[in-house]
Amino acid sequence: MVLLGKVALGIAGTALAGVGLICSEGMIEVNVVEKQPEAHHVYVLAPAMLVPIGMHFVPSRKLGRAATEIQPWMPTIRAALEQLRAGDDITLVDVREPGQHVLVTKDGGSVVVDVADKDETVHVSAPIRAIESTIEQVAAASADTHD
Amino acid sequence: MQKAMRAIGVCCALALTMSNFAVTAMAAPATEHYLHVKVDDASKGESVNVNLPLSMAAAILPTVNKGTLHNGHVTIGEADFNGVDVRALLDAIRTAPDNEFVTVKEKDQDVRVAKSNGNLIVHVLDKSKDGEKVDVTIPMKVVDALFSTVKDNELDVAAAIRALSDAGDAVLVTVQDATEHVRIWIDSHSTSE
Repeated sequence: MVLLGKVALGIAGTALAGVGLICSEGMIEVNVVEKQPEAHHVYVLAPAMLVPIGMHFVPSRKLGRAATEIQPWMPTIRAALEQLRAGDDITLVDVREPGQHVLVTKDGGSVVVDVADKDETVHVSAPIRAIESTIEQVAAASADTHD
Repeated sequence: MQKAMRAIGVCCALALTMSNFAVTAMAAPATEHYLHVKVDDASKGESVNVNLPLSMAAAILPTVNKGTLHNGHVTIGEADFNGVDVRALLDAIRTAPDNEFVTVKEKDQDVRVAKSNGNLIVHVLDKSKDGEKVDVTIPMKVVDALFSTVKDNELDVAAAIRALSDAGDAVLVTVQDATEHVRIWIDSHSTSE
């Protein structure tokens, strides 16, 4: 009985550590609400670490063009994300026009995009570290495809 | 003896307070300045606000190497200067006292270029039906930084941004016409409100 308890505690501890590790880079949140009569609601909350992990399984040749195009801009992207991560929370872009509102903010360690128009509202929040890791992986695919 | 001890105590307390102030002052980060762009179009009911930390702009610019922009420098063709020695012109403006350098009054347009309180001021008033009013105020330090490169056909945009950051709060550009209002300014607030 004691042994069973120890095994259960080990499994629970490992699971908790795993969840903690997976969630350590924050969560990606996507919320889409359609305002049509047949309203659809899509809500996804996923650990941000899964995206760069998932990128490992995408064949390099599939990312070839994106990787080649993004490569020259990597120093700029790195500098921008580093500054964004280190800086205070800020509304970067706020566009309002009749029937539409677009808001891009830096909130905590995440970049948040909110779009509201007459048809739907979209909310996307992604941790900057996850964005950085994902873009680095896309850029790295450029080297892989040329090898 | 007691007086001496008290005096030493007061001196120690004072020294401690001063050192605390010094440490606080050294530890305090430099105030971040933000570049704000606000465009309001009353006829279409549109508004655009962009807020950018100047430190971010200063960090990003040197990394961009595309077209005429390289390492924070913009290369300008000879034709863009129209044969005018801009450095000599700016040097003349810099050393001159506050004054109006150019005043043009035409039937449909007024133009005024002046130097005032360390700023280069350009004012353009279009007197036509949709009359546009443009005001540009650039601190001379920023203009100096812009032309601080060794090469004659280059503008040091990165240096200008650093100078802007040091220049403090300032309204740089306002454009107003019948329906649209554009404002570009620098301050230490992260929002454009």
